[in-house]
Amino acid sequence: MNRDDDHDLEQKLRAALRPADPGPGFVGGLMARIAAERPGSVRPLRVRAAASWLTFALAASIVLALLLAHQQQARRTEQGLAARRQLIQALRVTGDKLDLASRLVNSQPPPPTSSDSGA
Amino acid sequence: MNSFVRRCILTLAALAALGVRLAVAAPAVPLKLPEFEALAAKASESVNVSLDSSLLGLAAGFLDPKDPEDAGAKQLIAGLKGIYVRSYTFDQDVAYPAAEVEALRRQLTAPGWQSLVKVRKEKEHANVDIYISVDQGKANGLAIIVSEPREFTVVNIVGAIDLEKLRQLEGKFGVPKMPLPDADPSAGAPAPARP
Repeated sequence: MNRDDDHDLEQKLRAALRPADPGPGFVGGLMARIAAERPGSVRPLRVRAAASWLTFALAASIVLALLLAHQQQARRTEQGLAARRQLIQALRVTGDKLDLASRLVNSQPPPPTSSDSGA
Repeated sequence: MNSFVRRCILTLAALAALGVRLAVAAPAVPLKLPEFEALAAKASESVNVSLDSSLLGLAAGFLDPKDPEDAGAKQLIAGLKGIYVRSYTFDQDVAYPAAEVEALRRQLTAPGWQSLVKVRKEKEHANVDIYISVDQGKANGLAIIVSEPREFTVVNIVGAIDLEKLRQLEGKFGVPKMPLPDADPSAGAPAPARP
């Protein structure tokens, strides 16, 4: 690198780094933007993470509740069908035994009817 | 189930034939059925049903009202508080546990329980006991004890057994018309043996 090159680079740097006027509206615009940004709109990272977790937990809870409700309903249906089977079985056994009682009663000789005969 | 209704009506006829006075108050509580563990161990087939009021309600919810049998069953269990059945079938003759059966019979000597039918068939070795519990003139319990050489059954029905409902089922759902004594005094009602 020779002296001409050094000079050229220096000139370019000077040109690039020379002070420039931002214009009359720069400060006003900047202040207006600062005022327009609400303090709450920029949330800290921890709050945003907590909100994400809360959303996830809520969604998971809803899914879990739906699953549990479905399971409970299935269990209830199973219990109901089992109870119905038991009921029918119980009524059949009862009917059989009442039938047996009826047959045995009917096969017995009739009681004496001395008062009816007037003897 | 229709035959169950028919048989219940037969029992009703027997009740009327006995002229049972339904006036003694009795609580509608289930009997304490023994475990019958010895019988269960020997049995080739066992039926163990315990349906309290909540399970009866649950079962009723699964009965199809369009099905005549289910509809009949639903009518029958309306007002019931429980149905309890213990039934054991054996491949060979067995001796029944006298102590447990006696303990059961003792419960049926409590006030309110009345012996409705008592049959002893020595030839067939069959014994049938039917007891009814009444309150304010209404049946609120039924107990059946049947012992045969190869079968032993205990049934306990708890709650308001609406006999009128049974009568209303006559002629419906294939239930044959059964002349009840109070409806037709000349009809031959079964004459149960007095205890």
